[in-house]
Amino acid sequence: MKMIVRTTAFALSILLLPLIAFAAPTQYQLRVDGLACPFCAYGIEKELNRTDGVESIRIDINAGIVTVTMAEGATMTEAQASRIVEDAGFTLGGFEKVRAQASNKPE
Amino acid sequence: MHAGLQNPGRRPLRQAGAAALLAVAGWTGAAWSAPVTFNTALPVAKGEFVFREQFVLDQSGDDPSGADRDRTAWAAVSVLGYGVNGDLALFGVVPYVDRSLDLTVGGSRRSRSAAGLGDVALFGRYTVFKDNFRGGNFRVAPFAGVETPTGDDDESDAFGRLPASVQPGSGSWDPFGGIVATYQTLAFQIDAQASYRGNTEANGFEFGDVARLDASFQYRLWPRDLGGGVPGFLYGIVEANLVYRDENRTGGRDDPDSGGTTLFIVPGLQYVTKRWIVEAAVQLPVFQDLNGTALEKDTVARAGFRVNF
Repeated sequence: MKMIVRTTAFALSILLLPLIAFAAPTQYQLRVDGLACPFCAYGIEKELNRTDGVESIRIDINAGIVTVTMAEGATMTEAQASRIVEDAGFTLGGFEKVRAQASNKPE
Repeated sequence: MHAGLQNPGRRPLRQAGAAALLAVAGWTGAAWSAPVTFNTALPVAKGEFVFREQFVLDQSGDDPSGADRDRTAWAAVSVLGYGVNGDLALFGVVPYVDRSLDLTVGGSRRSRSAAGLGDVALFGRYTVFKDNFRGGNFRVAPFAGVETPTGDDDESDAFGRLPASVQPGSGSWDPFGGIVATYQTLAFQIDAQASYRGNTEANGFEFGDVARLDASFQYRLWPRDLGGGVPGFLYGIVEANLVYRDENRTGGRDDPDSGGTTLFIVPGLQYVTKRWIVEAAVQLPVFQDLNGTALEKDTVARAGFRVNF
């Protein structure tokens, strides 16, 4: 009996895993070429904060990576990201959609 | 008799005022980001505002004319910048100035001074070349604008109307322009600028035109190692300003005791965060080749802050 319960629980957890992952918010990683000082980073952050669906932003200035977490159901296109980065005076060097591992708080 | 002593109530004051003007001449540089004494080519994001306040103390003395002139000029320079897009930025500059000159005339000490809002300057800067790469960028941006005659230019004291150079405003429309280049990495930044200001005549007086060559090197002192996020950067700064000022003109005649060339070396510190910057620097005149009895500069101190919103 114990064995059946354990097997069922394991099987359920395997089945539910994709659902849990599906519920995680969508994140995008933007590689911003030209970003090299803290004061300049605000321009990108402000532009992104004005964008519909953006829930939080995390900037890693050393890597030149801006991670954008979207609200549930919201998406961002590469063209949209490119325009935002260009408006801040920089260049979009890379754009990648990733699955959030954990919720990110705004800086 | 030396020309500088023939009319000490007027000519030295003109020189003093011109020097005070020079003290605020860095206002085009008070516009935005990195260097303390001049401009940068770094962008202002579309729809972003940058406000900068810089306090300037300009002290001069060591009078070769014998009039024992001693000049102090204060200025609080407010700058508002706005990013039209990633390449074009517009700036407005509003200085508040307080100028005083003590000198000996006919054996008695005389002090003349004026304070008030100075001439508002408006200019634009457009990025004509940029190369954004991972962790750095290089860009070149010409700029052009005009200083408008908004400050009072008819102040007077017990001795009569103050000379044009002591007035808070020049009364003239003075166009200026130049080009600035910036090479920036996460570890350091280099800026270089060439600029020219063509001063025009007002009330029978004309300040000499000013040509400048500026350079700045900023090095990240702290943090030594960058982690994640956006940490504040502490920069050590060394700048150089080579300033040539033409002779002033009164009634169409050159003043031989005005103008000349000055080279400043400028050590300073700057702490930069995502939302604000605080900075301080001292302009040390290491070389002065001035005309006639033009008053030499002792030092110029600058301190201020910037915020973006």
